[in-house]
Amino acid sequence: MQRIVIPGEKISDTPVRMHNTLINNGKTYSTIVGLYSDEKSTLIPLEGLWNPAYGDTAVGVIEEDRLNTYNVNLNSPYKGLLISKFVQEQLNKGDVVEASVKELDKTQTVVLMRPRKLSGGKIFSITPSKVPRVLGKGNNMLKELSASTKSSIIVGHNGVVWIKGGNMQLAMDAILRIQEEAHTTGLTDRIKEMLSKGN
Amino acid sequence: MSGGGEKPELIINGKRLDGRGATDLRSLKIEPNVIKNAAGSAYVEWGNNKIIAAVHGPKEALPKHTSDPEKAVIKCRYMMAPFSSLEGHGRTGPNRRSIEISKVTKEVFENVVMLELFPGTEIDIYVEVLQGDGGTRAAGITAAAVAMALSGIPMTDVPYAVSAGKIGETVVLDLNMIEDNYSDADMPVAVKPLTNETLLLQMDGSFTKEQFKEAMEMILESGKKIHEIQAAAIKRPYQEIIERYER
Repeated sequence: MQRIVIPGEKISDTPVRMHNTLINNGKTYSTIVGLYSDEKSTLIPLEGLWNPAYGDTAVGVIEEDRLNTYNVNLNSPYKGLLISKFVQEQLNKGDVVEASVKELDKTQTVVLMRPRKLSGGKIFSITPSKVPRVLGKGNNMLKELSASTKSSIIVGHNGVVWIKGGNMQLAMDAILRIQEEAHTTGLTDRIKEMLSKGN
Repeated sequence: MSGGGEKPELIINGKRLDGRGATDLRSLKIEPNVIKNAAGSAYVEWGNNKIIAAVHGPKEALPKHTSDPEKAVIKCRYMMAPFSSLEGHGRTGPNRRSIEISKVTKEVFENVVMLELFPGTEIDIYVEVLQGDGGTRAAGITAAAVAMALSGIPMTDVPYAVSAGKIGETVVLDLNMIEDNYSDADMPVAVKPLTNETLLLQMDGSFTKEQFKEAMEMILESGKKIHEIQAAAIKRPYQEIIERYER
């Protein structure tokens, strides 16, 4: 049985080491608003911020073209940085890029690698904690989305989504619905139904 | 805030002006997620107090010299709207009182938010009083705690705040504006409900040692109720969506 927990709510009488929890006097407390499952003993954040990790995909907008680097706006507390040496094509201010995270350095800057320029299309942002649900198990949800709307969709772990072509409105509506209903069961079926109706 | 002039009788036959007993809270209602552009927000109606609290961030701390490379910094702005009260609080922008309340609110949240997770950033708390009727700093902290939890920023607990005071020799809970103006003591307290640690304690007037103990007991007892309402408000937006599909 899953239940919603709030910061400071006890989730276990035994110390359990996991993300977004706090161990005090041998008991475990949540530090976020999340969904806790007793059997699986997992705490899924309902609201949350992006914790950059090696290999994460990030979608951002070039903010500034410096001498050796590009500053990238990642719509998060962290600044994005691209080193010009590793950029194959000319990037300008305002370009949308997809890149993967190389590291989070000591100055809270996300150093990016393997950038790809995304031309055209639209970007919008969702809550970063809902990204795993938009991707689905083994990217199944995302495959389903792009197959039925015929859009190219790139979802960054920082919560920025880029879509181009196909039925963009439907894809956007579906992603926003996944964000809203991420913590419910049977979501995949509802989204499939929504996509087949929309076409 | 002294009333001056003749002191009106505030407790008649054991009942206060609005019909409450000494240990009764005013009605409290919390509405979550009222501001779309904020990371988290809450609207509180506590008696006649109407307050909106919103949390933004974490974002890059600006101006740069305010940032701390070890942890996030909290910036808080408490403000009363020009139309919020009879006494003209807030009619001339930030003043001594609002700066003080901003500072104490900030210090409450510095002790519950896990600031070390976001070095070099700032978290903004805005508390706007639309209508004030005594105990706005307590109501503002209670609202801001809900807003902070909804923003997804990790925190160790959801604090609440409430005031206790003294009318004549009777210790009473949750004073309204008239009681506050003519009371003999007024003490807003913010508490971390998990451990009952005190995060804020201010006092106008004076208590005896026994009266102080009685006031603290009242606050901790009423806090259970306040915390329950806060928890329900935080869970409500998610609960509603679950109920839509799982009946």
